[in-house]
Amino acid sequence: MRKSPNLRRRRRVIPAISIASFLAFVLAACGGGSTSGGAGSATSANITWWGWTPTTQVAEQYIKAFNVKYPNIHVTYKMLTIAGYNAALRPALASTVGPDVFDVAPGGANGSVETYSPDAVNLAPAVEKALGSDWQSKLSPIGVSSLMIGQKLAAVSVGAVYSGTVWINENLFSQYHLSPPTTLAQWTSDCATFKAHGIGCFVQGVGQTAFNEDTLQAISDNIQPGVWAKAIQGQVPWTSPVIVKALTIWKEMFSDGIMEKGALGVQQYPDANNDFMSGKYAMVMMGTWYMQYDTQAGMSAAISAAGVASPKNFTALPIAFPDVAGTGHTGALYGDSDYGLAVNAKSSNQAAATTFAVWLGTSTAGQEQVANALDDIAALKGIEPNWSNISLVNSGTQQAALSKLITNAVSSSEPRLGTVTPNLQLAIGVASTTVASGSATPAQAAAALQAAAAKMPNHGAV
Amino acid sequence: MTSTEAGTTVSITRQPNAAAGRAAPKGRRRGPRRPPGLPWILPAFIFVVGFVYYCIGYTGYISTLNWDGVSPNPQHVGWANYVQLFHDPVFWDTIRHTVLFFVVTFTVQTAIGFTFAALLHSKVKLANLYKVIIFVPVVLAPATMAPIFRQIFSATGQFNTILGDIGLGSLEHPWLAQSSTALPVIMAITIWEWTGVTFILYFAAMTQIDKEIVEAARIDGANGLRVLTRIVWPSVRGTTIALAMLSVIGALKTFDVPYLVTLGGPNYATEFLGTFIYRVSIPQAEVGYGAALSIMLLILSLAGALAFGLRGMRRN
Repeated sequence: MRKSPNLRRRRRVIPAISIASFLAFVLAACGGGSTSGGAGSATSANITWWGWTPTTQVAEQYIKAFNVKYPNIHVTYKMLTIAGYNAALRPALASTVGPDVFDVAPGGANGSVETYSPDAVNLAPAVEKALGSDWQSKLSPIGVSSLMIGQKLAAVSVGAVYSGTVWINENLFSQYHLSPPTTLAQWTSDCATFKAHGIGCFVQGVGQTAFNEDTLQAISDNIQPGVWAKAIQGQVPWTSPVIVKALTIWKEMFSDGIMEKGALGVQQYPDANNDFMSGKYAMVMMGTWYMQYDTQAGMSAAISAAGVASPKNFTALPIAFPDVAGTGHTGALYGDSDYGLAVNAKSSNQAAATTFAVWLGTSTAGQEQVANALDDIAALKGIEPNWSNISLVNSGTQQAALSKLITNAVSSSEPRLGTVTPNLQLAIGVASTTVASGSATPAQAAAALQAAAAKMPNHGAV
Repeated sequence: MTSTEAGTTVSITRQPNAAAGRAAPKGRRRGPRRPPGLPWILPAFIFVVGFVYYCIGYTGYISTLNWDGVSPNPQHVGWANYVQLFHDPVFWDTIRHTVLFFVVTFTVQTAIGFTFAALLHSKVKLANLYKVIIFVPVVLAPATMAPIFRQIFSATGQFNTILGDIGLGSLEHPWLAQSSTALPVIMAITIWEWTGVTFILYFAAMTQIDKEIVEAARIDGANGLRVLTRIVWPSVRGTTIALAMLSVIGALKTFDVPYLVTLGGPNYATEFLGTFIYRVSIPQAEVGYGAALSIMLLILSLAGALAFGLRGMRRN
């Protein structure tokens, strides 16, 4: 059959159009965007902020307060999961359409400031402009040193978090006429009482190993303060008798019935957090970030999120980690900047982004917002929560406890996770779980940890 | 021509003047013959080569680097990541877990899926309802189910409660907290989730079996079990091979259930290649090593698929 000239022409034209369209699409995609690093306006722009913290609700409070002073800078906050943050941020920063402002944190784990420093602008001149030449003395030292890479201030610390505390459900302690534990024996006894009444005692998500480090550091500081931090720096071997004893006590917490049954299969978030919030357990190992749940609204939301249909707030209080080694060294707190705001070096709105980051991290108005959210301890010295504006669940008991916690925390200089690389964190996690499961003795686990750390650059310290 | 094979019927009608038998008119074409469909497939071809194979090649290149994924100065380390991989005990753990996972999940899913498909081909009341019940887990997102399974298999969970209630309290166990039981739980969840697919494929394959053959076997005195083992099972062999191939690839790519339920723990007891690659590449920021593991995953997937594919072809 002969084909008509029209049909033949169409057969040639259609593939040509399809190829041309495809190439046009590819070229358009490849050519999109720009590498403009223009500063833009410092008082008017639409900027994006990516972070894993704070919650969207808290971020909106910050932005609302910021807009009182800078009404023409519109900030859009995108909250990402902790687990997904690095995976999302890496390609975003490699592109030209990444966020204008992004969270970073000390240490080598999530949002590592070391990792993302090359993508951030130096904020030291902007902070100096805001606070004066003695700006460093006006900010929490832990927030400045941990976010400085060389001479570059890669991010402005928004606030700090500290760990080393056990949080208790005071209602349950009162109900069963128990006192918060101060020794290992009392802890064991309290747990026996709670269990006899069908209440879980101490919940920890041992399966999510990063939090095991908090407990191990608390035990180690109880045995001999400072050894844990030195071990991280490679100044003390992990086979030190203090660390071995810490692992031994850690194991005893499982065998003595302090840790919940099946703790190795539990994750700190959401499992342990939900178990505590729903009143199933009387104690949990958490840090200063748990202060936010002492507010009426914060606790109601947390209890609802834990799956309780009709939330009934209870009094949550921080207590010092019990004197499990019998040394009397209690009350150790260790912390880092929770997160800092970095400004994307490729942002076309650098000036506005810098305005926002510096305002939140250094201005009195911004830091009051941070302090009042009770999520972080303010980075600007002298800023404390305005208790008259905060509705606590039980202000009579909680306000004094929280004030004391904040006072003790800001005086601490012991780092938490900020000086630990992910590889060392993983090795510590393995040591904690192998001891907990009984597949290694404390001495064996400590030796394996030491062997792993010895292979790491700088012994696994940042 | 009609051929019946592996539960499918293929009809091929031979065209008169097919290309093989047709002589090209003399003098019409000179030079190399141009493939007639090339312009049509070119966009898709460019897309596949440009994106998919380029990405594979780029991953291969990254696997020769010591790189955190963002640093502007990655260090070229040659084959060092592959050497590290073969000396990494966690890597070998993941291979062992994958093999065990494939054997158990494939065997159990095949047994349950085949049995359900055969049962629902007989005259069963409410057959459609059963089909829906069996298939529903397939459409439920693992992210939704993970917290539920963590609760069910926790030390104080419903599974232990049921064991206690039926007098098997001695078997109560913190299932996810022990290395010896965490992997079987992950397998059980996977079987629950994916048996619906096995069932539906076997069910479809069984509808292709010529009923006359089954009737002839019954007239010859074959009972139900014999019909199943001698007629139905061989007839769905193609489906079984396809499922085996998919199961190998699925086992190698396993990520969501172990990551969401156990985070690969305790003590790497439920670590798979997928979770290991993620752990290494993202939290530990060893992107080069993660890329080497990814290339290894690709090689193993191809090898597994080829092994089953060739086995199926040889039998044919």
